[in-house]
Amino acid sequence: MSAPLPDYAELHCLSAFSFQRGASVAIELFERAKALGYHALAITDDGSLAGIVRALQAARKTEMKLIVGSEVQLDDGPKLVLLVESQAGYTRLCQLLTVARRRAPKGHYQLRCDDVADTTGLLALWFPHAESDAARDDAHGAWITSRFPDRCWLAVELHRGADDAARLSQLQALGKRLQLPLVASGDVHMHLRSRRALQDTLTAIRHKTTVAEAGHRLFANGERHLRSRKALAAIYPPELLAESVTIAERCQFDLGKLEYAYPKELVPEGHNPNTWLRHLATNGERWRWPDGTPDKARRQIEHELTLITEKKYASYFLTVHDIVRFAREEKILCQGRGSAANSVVCYVLGITAIDPIEMDMLFERFISGERDEPPDIDVDFEHERREEVLQYVFNRYGRDRAALTAVATQYRGRGAVRDVARALGLSPDLAGELAATMDRWSEEAPIPAYLRECGFDPDSPLLRQVIALTTELIGFPHYLSQHPGGFVISEHPLSTLVPVENAAMDNRTVIQWDKDDLDVMRMLKVDCLALGMLTAVRKTLQLLREHGRGDHTMESLPKDDKATYDMIGRADTIGVFQIESRAQMAMLPRLKPACYYDLVIEVAIVRPGPIQGDMVHPYLRRRNGQEPVVYPSEKLKAVLKRTLGVPLFQEQVMQIAIAAADYSPGEADQLRRSMAAWKRHGGLESHREKLLAGMLKNGYTADFAERLFEQIKGFGSYGFPESHAASFALIVCVSSWLKCHEPAAFACALINSAPMGFYSPDQLLQDARRHGIRVLPIDVRYSAWDCTLQNHVDRREQPAIRMGLRLINGLHPATAETIALQRKQQPFADVADLCARTHIDRRQQSLLADAGALRGLAGHRHRARWAIAGVESSLPLFADLPAQVEPESIALPAPTASEDMRADYLLTGTTLGQHPLAFLRPELQRRRYRDSSELGAIPNGRHIRVAGMVTLRQRPQTASGVIFLTLEDEYGLTNVVVWTTVSERQRRVLLQSNLLAVHGYLESQYGVQHLIAQRLEDLTPMLGSLDVKSRDFH
Amino acid sequence: MLWACILLPQLALDGVLRRHAAPDQPLALISGPSQRRVLHAVNEAAEAEGLHAGQPLTTAQTLCHHFAKVDVDSAAVERTHDFLAAWAYRYGSLVSRSLPSTLLLEVEASFKLFGPWPRLEARLRHDLSELGFRHRIVLAPNPWAARALVNRHDGLAISQDAPLQQALGQLPVDASGLPLDVCESLGRMGLRTLQPVFALPRAALGKRVGASALQQLDRLTGALATPLPYFQPADVFEARIEFNYDVTSSQALLFPLRRLIDDLAVYLAGRDGGVQQFLLRLEHDRGPVTDVRIGLLAAEREPAMLFEFARGRLEPLTLTASVSAMQLIATELPPFVPAARDLFDTRPQQAMPWQQLRERLRARLGDDAVHGLAIRADHRPERSWQIDVQTKSSPLPLPRPGWLLKQPIPLRDHRLRVLAGPERIESGWWEADVRRDYYVVETSMGQRAWAYRPVGELGEFMLHGWFA
Repeated sequence: MSAPLPDYAELHCLSAFSFQRGASVAIELFERAKALGYHALAITDDGSLAGIVRALQAARKTEMKLIVGSEVQLDDGPKLVLLVESQAGYTRLCQLLTVARRRAPKGHYQLRCDDVADTTGLLALWFPHAESDAARDDAHGAWITSRFPDRCWLAVELHRGADDAARLSQLQALGKRLQLPLVASGDVHMHLRSRRALQDTLTAIRHKTTVAEAGHRLFANGERHLRSRKALAAIYPPELLAESVTIAERCQFDLGKLEYAYPKELVPEGHNPNTWLRHLATNGERWRWPDGTPDKARRQIEHELTLITEKKYASYFLTVHDIVRFAREEKILCQGRGSAANSVVCYVLGITAIDPIEMDMLFERFISGERDEPPDIDVDFEHERREEVLQYVFNRYGRDRAALTAVATQYRGRGAVRDVARALGLSPDLAGELAATMDRWSEEAPIPAYLRECGFDPDSPLLRQVIALTTELIGFPHYLSQHPGGFVISEHPLSTLVPVENAAMDNRTVIQWDKDDLDVMRMLKVDCLALGMLTAVRKTLQLLREHGRGDHTMESLPKDDKATYDMIGRADTIGVFQIESRAQMAMLPRLKPACYYDLVIEVAIVRPGPIQGDMVHPYLRRRNGQEPVVYPSEKLKAVLKRTLGVPLFQEQVMQIAIAAADYSPGEADQLRRSMAAWKRHGGLESHREKLLAGMLKNGYTADFAERLFEQIKGFGSYGFPESHAASFALIVCVSSWLKCHEPAAFACALINSAPMGFYSPDQLLQDARRHGIRVLPIDVRYSAWDCTLQNHVDRREQPAIRMGLRLINGLHPATAETIALQRKQQPFADVADLCARTHIDRRQQSLLADAGALRGLAGHRHRARWAIAGVESSLPLFADLPAQVEPESIALPAPTASEDMRADYLLTGTTLGQHPLAFLRPELQRRRYRDSSELGAIPNGRHIRVAGMVTLRQRPQTASGVIFLTLEDEYGLTNVVVWTTVSERQRRVLLQSNLLAVHGYLESQYGVQHLIAQRLEDLTPMLGSLDVKSRDFH
Repeated sequence: MLWACILLPQLALDGVLRRHAAPDQPLALISGPSQRRVLHAVNEAAEAEGLHAGQPLTTAQTLCHHFAKVDVDSAAVERTHDFLAAWAYRYGSLVSRSLPSTLLLEVEASFKLFGPWPRLEARLRHDLSELGFRHRIVLAPNPWAARALVNRHDGLAISQDAPLQQALGQLPVDASGLPLDVCESLGRMGLRTLQPVFALPRAALGKRVGASALQQLDRLTGALATPLPYFQPADVFEARIEFNYDVTSSQALLFPLRRLIDDLAVYLAGRDGGVQQFLLRLEHDRGPVTDVRIGLLAAEREPAMLFEFARGRLEPLTLTASVSAMQLIATELPPFVPAARDLFDTRPQQAMPWQQLRERLRARLGDDAVHGLAIRADHRPERSWQIDVQTKSSPLPLPRPGWLLKQPIPLRDHRLRVLAGPERIESGWWEADVRRDYYVVETSMGQRAWAYRPVGELGEFMLHGWFA
């Protein structure tokens, strides 16, 4: 019989958060360690605690002991693993890593011996160099013993190297000489040996080389996995294994018990957070309800304040209130979104803009007594001014107490296949082509059929390896980046809780944890998000004020304007917030929103949840009176009345569970969370039983209960919360009113806020012109950087839009600035004068000429280019002398209309001249393609063919895989629907054509026409070198 | 003067194809650094498979599994270009090959000998087709005009100034040989052909396009004559010794050989060059000649060394017939790069210089038997050695045998003693996965060997190398 297996704790193990080194994720490591019967597992990522919360979750799930630690390579010293013994040690480690990270550029760290001063609560494992150097080893040994007295070990890592026995005795001798105890550890990089290929691939990716070229940078073998205790016993002396357990026993720190405190300074003298919040809420009530707070609101506020006090969240609300107050003072538009809109307290504090009482919303969606997780308040700010808000927070709390949260960006399909392919030696071009066969966000490996269509052979050994490794890599953390606006704020320096590092952008610091980690650690997070439409709205309102067209605010614009709803019903919504997508525009004429709440439904209904739950058609039928509105019970009528008996919102599912199956509000929120996760993790079964039992008890039929459960499942993770839709619908309302009544100012502001939304400046300008707005060309005599408005003599007429210099590709804002400045002093006499006074370089001059912006000074663009080329490079000394006059008059050919059109598109992406298709029309007519103006007269179901520029490809998040195309020609737009059968067959044509012909049949319903594609034909070659790009899948 | 411009659009590819065994099978020329190999040119069969110039090699490999890959050898392209220039030299004494892929030939002087242009042109085309080179030919009164016109024409022949002006006027600016930025700039002024460009006032134009562009325009019209560097046919060394008596033993050839070699060395020194390959041709009274080729690893001109090499090849030769004459032909005469020598060289007299030893070994054992050896960064032992070395990397401090067997063989020895190991090597999964446990063992004969077993197994050892 063999001896009993020795006990062992792995003290040196990297997870995938040691980016491009660790080849297994925490849960894989813990499950394997558990299966092997390890005593404990330390996660010691390279200079980082970014993966430690995942490790904590894995440890909890497997009921294994987690030891927190980090591997660090000192710049001027040895390589160590620091293990956390106690809370004090954890704080030291976070501070140490913060110092090392803040000193180095993003993604790196620099730790020096001097940094390692107070090491209380930290244990150190030392890894002497493979090549022994007595003097250096002695120096390192002495330093370690002095810094970690009785808390340091010499780590012995044997990996079947050239002569393990010799290495062991060498280390034993060193330990004896320096009087250091020895311990076995594994330098684990993967949970199983079979990850060797992935580990090699990651190494090659890290070194930006290929596996074939990586040479000795790869490990010689696959020994760096979690080895069985039997294997370890054959390699290490028993006392070295036993020592690992002794060390593990010393580490008693429990990451799960980390203490976090909200900041306290927002509370004035004499108040505590609860009383101060109550005070602010009372003030807010007077502002929201000058005539007195309604009873229902009063009761709700009391209810909320009680729960907030009980949960100790008052400081959190005060923090968000403070940020919103700052934005209002600075006149930065902002609006709370998401579940906070369920809270009356948020409404009276001015964080959100909708009264949840009127909306009959569910506070428990926001905070619940059962849920032990901080609430999440997200606030949208104007995207161009959000940075001011971020810097305010940094300044208010100090850089040591406020930081952005991280985003642990995961490898998705495209990125994974690109990196793997390059590591296996495929050229960047080919790696790019492989990546192009996949959806950007796909979490699935490349699909052989797509590969074949693009000319790859998925059965070749090389591609088989690429596919296999890509499949393994997808889902791995790739790198740490910053969350766009998620803040963590703490009473105590953040570096005592989590390491803080530099962000890629200046003046920003980021913690190493992402938002999921914060949820687990129960830490406060405020999301300051950026919303482009708020910028556009502010700019529109400003334009209107500047041009004497009214002084409006978001609140003052009417929410019940009939003309606006008529426009929405016609799906005339290009540029409007949210309801501008193709799927939304297809729904508008069927739903015909007539009031604000209809818009809330409109925003929420065109989502995969309601579509998959089959709720859209019943709702539309009931709304159009084609089906009676019935309710399963009186109790449910209260819940479902506003959506005609059809559950459309997440909150309604929760309310049904409460009303019909006796769920508590907190349990209902659990149900919502399970709904969101069941596709990935399962876990709806317990709710199924509970729901069915509850509903049967309350007298509902089993059939009805089953159907409801199926609907809930259909909702899945895509159900849209009503609170979120309500906030968004307000912005829909405002932007629709602006488009309806001030289309020139609105289009102008949208372009000046670019990039945003679905539509390019070209499409927005074409839409404006179709609405009769005059658009004036770019001209250095009049144009500013931004597009501007020119009032009509008759104020009842819409102003004209003067195109701004920002539309010229490659032109610098500084050029526009100096042009405007010089022009103000004195109008430009000619091109020479312009060049002499503005000192812009030859490239900028040429851009102005080619874009036609010099038309007023030099004539057509050929003459302009001639004039520019003739300007001597300006010499400041002679700037006052008159420009040398050329006597000859030069005859240059004037550009043809099609040359102008090409140059317009090349330089500015749009044209005021003829549409590209106008030039191709005779040929298209000869080939019997229709144009968009003919469609109105063609009956439903007729087979036709239409050609146009592809201006939009959209794949709504429905599983059905339908793709919406918009074709544009000189008369307008044609809406095309491509079903999966066609899109899979003609994927390449679908994705790569700029000029596309669609053969299909027309479907007309509710005044909307769709062309259902049956066959696609790429006509791009007809376009020649025209530079017109479509916008893909946003 | 009248200039024929011959454009060879596929010079490199045609140079390869004409000597290739299967020019009808897909073939691509490859160029670029090892990380980014691209297709430089492809033949028709390859094009039919979807390959095209500029495509990355890896892309091509996924599109087409079997196609011949030939590295672009710029030296070979130069030689081909030289070869064609030498061919053109037959038809005129003013030949220039100074522009890439182009031959310029003054032909007016040759009409007397070869007949009028149409006949000469036909000859040129016939020759080139026979030689296997695709081509375009244009005749013009000056070489620059001919070069520009051949961009858009083939077979155009202009001998007068007026039609030249007209043809140039219709030439697109892009094809005129003007700098790229000037072409772009003129295009943006609406000037697509040279006609309106010529029409512009010279000063105003010059101000905008610069002096060098004006010069190019002048060269095209013939207003400016810029001399071309003319081609001189390559030199070849040939020398022959006729014997007054029949030589029957190779030993007897050594004396005349030394003379030939000495003459060659003098010649090489005179042109400050070396020789890398030469041919000894033995002529017999009856029967075909016997050719003995002598190739060197590097260009040399030291007579003693050259003699040594030639002797090494000549001595083992068994003469089947008596020799009546010996000829030395040296065609490859590259520049000579002298070896750096220490000023105070202290080598003993008997020692043979390394190069000489190397060449003697090559001469005795054959060219393939002697080669360089270097270490490559790869964990797999068989891949860590490489022959013919470009990249070198430093060895890891690991026990590795001096002599690695080409193929591992079973090591049967019942009294083996394991000295160290196992050293586990698992690597190379991307092409040929190796998974072995290596041991340093001592055989019963006392030799130290490097042997392995499959990972984790205890069976028979495979011998992979010997320690010195």
